[in-house]
Amino acid sequence: MAAARSAGRTRDIRLAYLLLAPTLLLLLTTLAYPIGWEIWTSFTDLSPLKDGSAEFVGLTNYGRLLGDPEFWRAALVTVVYAIITSVAKLALGLGFALLLARPFRGRALVFLAIFIPWAYPAGVSVIGWYWTLSPPTTTAYAPAMGHLKHLVDGTLGTGAWAFTSIILFNIWRGSSFIGVLLLAGINAIPPELFECALLESKSRWRRFRLVTVPLLRPFLALAVFLSLTGAFADLANVWMLTAGRIVFPVIGTHAYFLAVKAGQYGPASALALTLVPFLLTILLVLFRLFDPPRREAT
Amino acid sequence: MAQVMMKELNKKYDEVHAVKDVNLHVRDKEFVVLVGPSGCGKSTTLRMVAGLEEITAGEITIGDRVVNDLPPKDRDIAMVFQNYALYPHMTVYDNMAFGLKMRKFPKPEIAKRVQEAAEILGIQELLKRKPRQLSGGQRQRVAVGRAIVRHPQVFLFDEPLSNLDAKLRVQMRVELKRLHDRLETTAIYVTHDQVEAMTLGDRVVVMKDGWIQQVGEPLELYSKPANRFVAGFIGSPAMNFMDVSVAEANGALWAETPGLRVKAPASIAGRLGAYKGQRVTLGIRPEDLHVATGSDSADYCVEAVVEVVEPLGSEILLDVKVAQSVIVARVDPTVRAKLHDKLRLALLPEQLRFFDNKTELAI
Repeated sequence: MAAARSAGRTRDIRLAYLLLAPTLLLLLTTLAYPIGWEIWTSFTDLSPLKDGSAEFVGLTNYGRLLGDPEFWRAALVTVVYAIITSVAKLALGLGFALLLARPFRGRALVFLAIFIPWAYPAGVSVIGWYWTLSPPTTTAYAPAMGHLKHLVDGTLGTGAWAFTSIILFNIWRGSSFIGVLLLAGINAIPPELFECALLESKSRWRRFRLVTVPLLRPFLALAVFLSLTGAFADLANVWMLTAGRIVFPVIGTHAYFLAVKAGQYGPASALALTLVPFLLTILLVLFRLFDPPRREAT
Repeated sequence: MAQVMMKELNKKYDEVHAVKDVNLHVRDKEFVVLVGPSGCGKSTTLRMVAGLEEITAGEITIGDRVVNDLPPKDRDIAMVFQNYALYPHMTVYDNMAFGLKMRKFPKPEIAKRVQEAAEILGIQELLKRKPRQLSGGQRQRVAVGRAIVRHPQVFLFDEPLSNLDAKLRVQMRVELKRLHDRLETTAIYVTHDQVEAMTLGDRVVVMKDGWIQQVGEPLELYSKPANRFVAGFIGSPAMNFMDVSVAEANGALWAETPGLRVKAPASIAGRLGAYKGQRVTLGIRPEDLHVATGSDSADYCVEAVVEVVEPLGSEILLDVKVAQSVIVARVDPTVRAKLHDKLRLALLPEQLRFFDNKTELAI
């Protein structure tokens, strides 16, 4: 009996691997291979501008990064960008979700208005934002925007206005997504849990802090995770909004610049890989919040 | 402890009139059960008492305060929900203490009350657990405990036993009854289960389509249903109904339909007289039918053909065809009836009920 069962089990396991094989193959070719190649490249001086084959240079690329003020600037800008946008998106998104969780007249229209920024193609949105913030000179409010740009750039340095617009765009688009994500979270919570709190307290704030936030915790953690990792690895938003004229580079744009414009594959790979420890840390910290440990001491 | 008064209570949603002119006086210390099919307005009524639904029209008084405009928190009620509504992120202790904490009770007082309630419910060992580590029955106890610790004026129960399996439901039903005897707190209890309503309620309120159909003690609803709906809703298996016409012969009234002729007992003949020549509904409960013996008067006997036999042990349910209808008879377990057997059944004359076909009211 036992032998037969174990033979059947072996067969099951073999079948499981067989069924998993296509996925594993896909992951290996699209994920493992490029990452492996990138790690290898970060230890070489590979460049299309260099004659001959790439040479192993050890940690030279990493060492150069640490001594490069441009790297530190990009890192600082990335952190500022990630934190500002994440805090704002979370606050706005939570507000949207709480607003939409209760029925009211015109709720469907408000839902649409809030969801459109996320649903709309990014490329098209970017053009809209670009023209709104830098209107053609014939537009009535063009002088006002011009003054604003000068004011911001004058105080914070050239390019600050462009950077502000990137932050605004990210918040505009991201809070829409986080709002819908958290709304789904609120809708997944049985309404009795909120009603039960209503029977015990008049204070909205107490109910929010003691009931809504803990119940939404896995969703809030997911929102923070997506927002932070999105901002840390952002390239598209920054690139599109500034058409590549980047004064405030983030890690992503700096790596792109090094690799594609300057042809320095080695340093670019090293630079991109510096993000990995940050992303892993974020993931590990938030992972505990996604799914709290099941077994408590009793 | 307090009485609850509902006066001309109404609830309208956009298109649905969910509760219609409900008048109900729940006395101090009384256990009142609202019962009815889904959509009858019983839960909505309860939620208006709790303050979870706005009152469209009418008035609710708890104790001597009109509570229409009071927020739920100030109504001094505690509610037990069908799905228990326990907070998954809190321990049993914290769940039970939740209401008192929100109301800023001092910690020692909270601890004392939670201990007390835990003892009453026998859940002292569970206080440090999380809800997901509990069985359905245990969760239900915690939900009740959370209501007890508040020492409210009124308990509100919204189908609290519906999520439990049948055996546990019977057990918890008894426990809730004991608990009420002990605490003597006024309670309003909503259920769709008429057995639960009959066993728990000091009085039972039967509702349908937003209207109160009848208010009464359990046995009163059973023996004197105000209308056809109550007659059919209370009692299991349900009362049998047959469409008959009223005719006069030999100085008595008879309920007739092809294949059936039953004499109306003298006690009801006076009221039934007005329906001479008209059609009415005859009602008879399964338990008021038995296999006829020589001593049964032919005036109350009908011929029946057995269609289904359900032997339950202590009794046998027979689905039989009488005239053109299929009715259920609850007979003695010694009856040896087989499929397609022809039987002569006798009806208990005093238990015959008649209902107006138009108004459905009892005659």
